[in-house]
Amino acid sequence: MRRANIVSGIMLALFGLVMLFAVIPWQIETAPPGFVSPRLVPNITMVVVVVLALLLVIANWRAPVNGDDAENASPIARVELMALLRIGAIFALSIALFRWVSSLAAGASLMVVTLLTLGERRPLPLVAIPAAILLATWFLFYKVIGTEIL
Amino acid sequence: MDHLMTGFMDVLNPGTILWVAAGVTLGYILGAIPGLGKATGVAVAIPLTFYLTPVAALGMLIGIAKGSAAGSAVSAILLNTPGEPSSAPTALDGYPLARQGKAQKALKMGLFASVIGDFVSTLILILLAAPLARYALLIGPVELCAILLFSLTFIGGLSGGSLTKGLIAAALGVFFATIGLETETFIPRLTFGLLELEDGISLVPMAIGMLAVAEMINQAGNMKALDRETSAISDSAAHEDRVITRVEWRRSLPVIARGTLIGSVIGILPGLGASVASFLSYGATKNASKTPEKYGTGMIEGVAAAESADNAVVPSSLVPLFALGIPGSVIAALLISAFVLHGLTPGPLMFQQQPRLVAAVYASMILASFIMLIIGYTCQRLFAQIIKVPLRLIIPGVLFLCCVGAYMETGSIFSIYVMLFFALIGFFSRKLDFSFVTFLIGFVIGPNLEFTFRQSIQLLGSDITNLKHHPISIVFIVLTLATAWWTGRSNSRKAVVK
Repeated sequence: MRRANIVSGIMLALFGLVMLFAVIPWQIETAPPGFVSPRLVPNITMVVVVVLALLLVIANWRAPVNGDDAENASPIARVELMALLRIGAIFALSIALFRWVSSLAAGASLMVVTLLTLGERRPLPLVAIPAAILLATWFLFYKVIGTEIL
Repeated sequence: MDHLMTGFMDVLNPGTILWVAAGVTLGYILGAIPGLGKATGVAVAIPLTFYLTPVAALGMLIGIAKGSAAGSAVSAILLNTPGEPSSAPTALDGYPLARQGKAQKALKMGLFASVIGDFVSTLILILLAAPLARYALLIGPVELCAILLFSLTFIGGLSGGSLTKGLIAAALGVFFATIGLETETFIPRLTFGLLELEDGISLVPMAIGMLAVAEMINQAGNMKALDRETSAISDSAAHEDRVITRVEWRRSLPVIARGTLIGSVIGILPGLGASVASFLSYGATKNASKTPEKYGTGMIEGVAAAESADNAVVPSSLVPLFALGIPGSVIAALLISAFVLHGLTPGPLMFQQQPRLVAAVYASMILASFIMLIIGYTCQRLFAQIIKVPLRLIIPGVLFLCCVGAYMETGSIFSIYVMLFFALIGFFSRKLDFSFVTFLIGFVIGPNLEFTFRQSIQLLGSDITNLKHHPISIVFIVLTLATAWWTGRSNSRKAVVK
């Protein structure tokens, strides 16, 4: 975690500096005379982030090194990173289907492809689970509550 | 009392009872499934309540929060895998009891302790919130700004392992709350020309992304270990497993009373949360016992201590929300958006402006306690079966419901993008131990903090020495610094090591 803290601290400090010196001046105009600047609170929060992130980096940098593998081990396992990438790709596919095909195709693909990705191969759950959830959602909104959500 | 009677009349109709019962049942199931839980449940369910009456909607959401707090004991006892971190102490004695063939006994004690803790804590909320709110009305913007700052520091220091990381999360939460049109000058801030951002980032897709989607991705990465434990469950049919004897009741009632008190007090203090309460109650019970060495081997009092405290936290954590408008927990932060959506702005003024709706919320909370008892008792075996469903069959449905919930907020796919962006932040904040709870609370109180800060600058004439006319704010500023120093000192080691 020590290495992760140093890396995340540097990233956050950079994020804060970019916000302070580039994004906030570019994206927030100055206020008319007599008003408190709209940049004030965003600037304060970013100053806090930069200072604390640097503190995090320094504290971990100066910490005694045990030579323990856990110190330098990534807090994110490879399998978790793969899950993030896979589910991200599934969402990208579903959004594409939503925009260019239909919401039904998007919903069904989100569930079927996730089931397949998580290791489900039996045909019955692959068909029954998405069908049941889509039907239940339709019934809840269109029949019980009486509203069209799309 | 008159208002409370009116509240009961508003709640006791088939429609509202049905929605509260649906909320409790849904919450119980979500709580029982490891990895889901009350925050996920409430976040996903808020959009589902858009079209319900305010009383039914708020009753349903409160039902989910209460039901999942009780349901998390099911997986803790049967799987040794707490549905939520706050049920971890339940597993210490609940799981050994289950292995001894006394699962039904442990589940029943978990349920009864949960209901008693929850019910008494609800009464404490009803008795405390309105009188506290009367005092809160005397507080001006300078004092409120100092109180909000103190709450954020307190939560930041206690929610995670490191004060530094907690405060970074809080500052980022406040920063994201500044996106959108600024309320005084109407100057757009950080909108990048996107019309969708002019009203700011909506809490619902953000919360769904950070809490539910990020957790599902996390679970997908650890699915095999959870599925292994799920498949190892075996049922016991022995009769003695299903009953709590009179002797056990006599031993457990004082434990439940102590757990309820601890949970209620911890709930009122912002940021401590149910995990602290349940561990504290379990530890206190063990210390007070004549046979502390037996704890961890299957003592029914261990289950009673943890569950009563865990469930007492949910209602009492609403005390600072109702009295001051400050969310003390992630559930309270999520409920703010639901309350506002249904015409009730949490804070001291709500008791004057909406007494009938407040009374109806109280009545629905009491009703939810009773429904929790009935549903928990009659459906216990069913809930025990539900947790056997492998996670790979649950995750796709939850992801779909997350999309439906986020989409419904604005009727635009932009909400889905917001949800996915914050899912990414939520995933990395979990892994890097930056408290997403503090982030969300910072986001929720951000607008109020900024508003009172601006008012304070104007009231003080930009001169900090004028603070001497506001002694309450000085007290809270000193408390903020003391909290930062104290928590920073106590967890400085953790910040380095974790």
